[in-house]
Amino acid sequence: MDAIATFFRLIWELGVYLFTVVPDLLPIILALATPLALGALCGVLNERSGVVNIGIEGIMLMAAFFAYLTGFALHSAVGPGASIALGILVAIIVGGLLGLAHAWLTVSVRADQIIAGTMMNIAAFGVTGYLNRLIITPSGLGGAGVIAPFHLPDAVANLPIAGPVLVMFFDQGPIAMSVLFIVIALQFALFRTRWGLRTRAVGEHPKAADTVGIDVYRQRYLNVILGCGLAGLAGAFLTLESTGSFQNGMTNGRGFIALAAMIFGRWTPIGAFAGALLFGTATALGVVVSIRVPEGDLGNIMRSIPSNWYAALPYLMTIVILAGVVGRSTPPAADGVAYVKEGKG
Amino acid sequence: MKRLLALGLALGVVVAGCGGGGLLGGGLKIGMVTDIGQLEDKSFNEFSWKGVQDGASAVGGTAKNIVTKDIADYKQNIQSFVDQKYDIIVTVGFLIGTETTAAAKANPNIQFFGVDQFIADPIPANYQGLLFNEAQAGYLAGIVAGTITKSNKIGAVGGREDVPPVVNYIKGYQNAAQATKPGVQVLVNYVGDFNAPDKGEASAKTMIGQGADVIFQVAGLTGAGALRAACSAKIWGIGVDVDQYQSLPDSKACIVTSAEKRLQNAVRDGIKRFKDKGKQSGNFTNDATNDGIGYSPLRNLNPVPAGLEDKLKQALADMKSGKLKPVP
Repeated sequence: MDAIATFFRLIWELGVYLFTVVPDLLPIILALATPLALGALCGVLNERSGVVNIGIEGIMLMAAFFAYLTGFALHSAVGPGASIALGILVAIIVGGLLGLAHAWLTVSVRADQIIAGTMMNIAAFGVTGYLNRLIITPSGLGGAGVIAPFHLPDAVANLPIAGPVLVMFFDQGPIAMSVLFIVIALQFALFRTRWGLRTRAVGEHPKAADTVGIDVYRQRYLNVILGCGLAGLAGAFLTLESTGSFQNGMTNGRGFIALAAMIFGRWTPIGAFAGALLFGTATALGVVVSIRVPEGDLGNIMRSIPSNWYAALPYLMTIVILAGVVGRSTPPAADGVAYVKEGKG
Repeated sequence: MKRLLALGLALGVVVAGCGGGGLLGGGLKIGMVTDIGQLEDKSFNEFSWKGVQDGASAVGGTAKNIVTKDIADYKQNIQSFVDQKYDIIVTVGFLIGTETTAAAKANPNIQFFGVDQFIADPIPANYQGLLFNEAQAGYLAGIVAGTITKSNKIGAVGGREDVPPVVNYIKGYQNAAQATKPGVQVLVNYVGDFNAPDKGEASAKTMIGQGADVIFQVAGLTGAGALRAACSAKIWGIGVDVDQYQSLPDSKACIVTSAEKRLQNAVRDGIKRFKDKGKQSGNFTNDATNDGIGYSPLRNLNPVPAGLEDKLKQALADMKSGKLKPVP
């Protein structure tokens, strides 16, 4: 009986602890979730129109590198602000071009979509590592500069309840700040516009879409390129907004966690964003629990858990989520299936 | 056919991305095997390699490196230098020590150096470990932090708790801060990752939220994120291993100093010792007595607190004479 009482008391203490800690963490969570959310949106756009893309990781890495290179090369020529803006633009273009390559391989040539994505990942790792050694390391310099985050006035930040939420979304750099708007815009576009209806149609039943006159290939090309542009933006976030430097393989699996967030969100933009926030929260808590340990029994238990377990939290969560805690999530029916127009092929 | 084309494209690119090292001339052949990861780690692989290159040009030799991708490749990578009849093989990192010992025993004609490797008895006559007293360097960082903190709370962001040099740095830092300003609180967090700047940033931001006004990073790229957080919160940051005011220009505005471990000099000097005196053996510790550790020039402090430079010099002198032990 005692054991049960203790158990419930601990759960209660954990709740109180999370309630006190999480508001402070909100801006950190959004920053951690930003690249995941953008990557997941790329996945949503691709898979909703019937193209599986596991190359998001590689696209992010390539875009991160070229964004950094642009900022780095133009830093002294055009000044920090303009060079960063150009870097972000380059990242989106690089993402779009790689999207074009992926679309060509999967839609036109009908290569195996998994292999095409894997190729993207392997190639990105090699190309960026090679160019990093060739161009950036020998220069002995670093530093494309970073975007200074925006700070809310204290009067707003200290508002009860609304304050922490506003800080979460607006005490950020421009890319993190824009994520919320991109999510809402895409959610609306996907379910309330003609483009969205067509996208879902080519992802669910391309043949039916084709018979009513929708150009399946064109729709898939468009969405893969758009989506990969967002993955490119995620790359720019990593180098130009978050760290201010490039490191080989710095995406570190984010492209794959983004896919998990997409599945968690059942292929909807808002759901994918929620998934990204969940992973961001797990990562932030993993880091923070060892700095802000609560008092009492709960604190003793938390202290006794090795720090490696906290660091592994987001990955453990990926496994749990993918193993089906979220229930059956059904991908678009024609996801991963190349469409062959009758009379062709 | 189309799949083959795609795979071929991918492989072509990967092959282009591999291959390492440059050739510098005739004379001694010096090979370096890195720890797992990459040459451009802004830390021990990169600076050991610079040391090898410096050493090679000082003794008129050639230098080449192999970047290790996996623990399982240590042995093979060392062996490929042995097969090509290299004169000196430098291996980098604590983990590659076992394979280096075995290779040194099997090849008595080749000189081995091991960065961050403590060699247990019996020590082969042709194998020298290059060690650093990180606790001393951390101690110097702790003096700075203890002197400049106004909130009496300082932080340290570590990479992994199971890597002894990281822990040594932080222990020295803690002890010095507490000796310099009694009652100062030191927040320590091991993030568990050397390659995650966003986690470093999250860790530092939390410490700053708790009131810390100086952050010491001992976490590689993870720590670069911690220093960024320090800069954007307009508090002080302290770098590690090399002068990070130079290596992390984005955090120039807030880095006051760095706890240095002079890898490049240590490796270069090892190669020179071999050239001048022949086979080197034992564990060679780089510390205050031979200028193997130190602190980078103080920056961003306006004015530099009275007596800080003197305190640092005194501590260095006392560590040199053995009077001051950073970790009792």
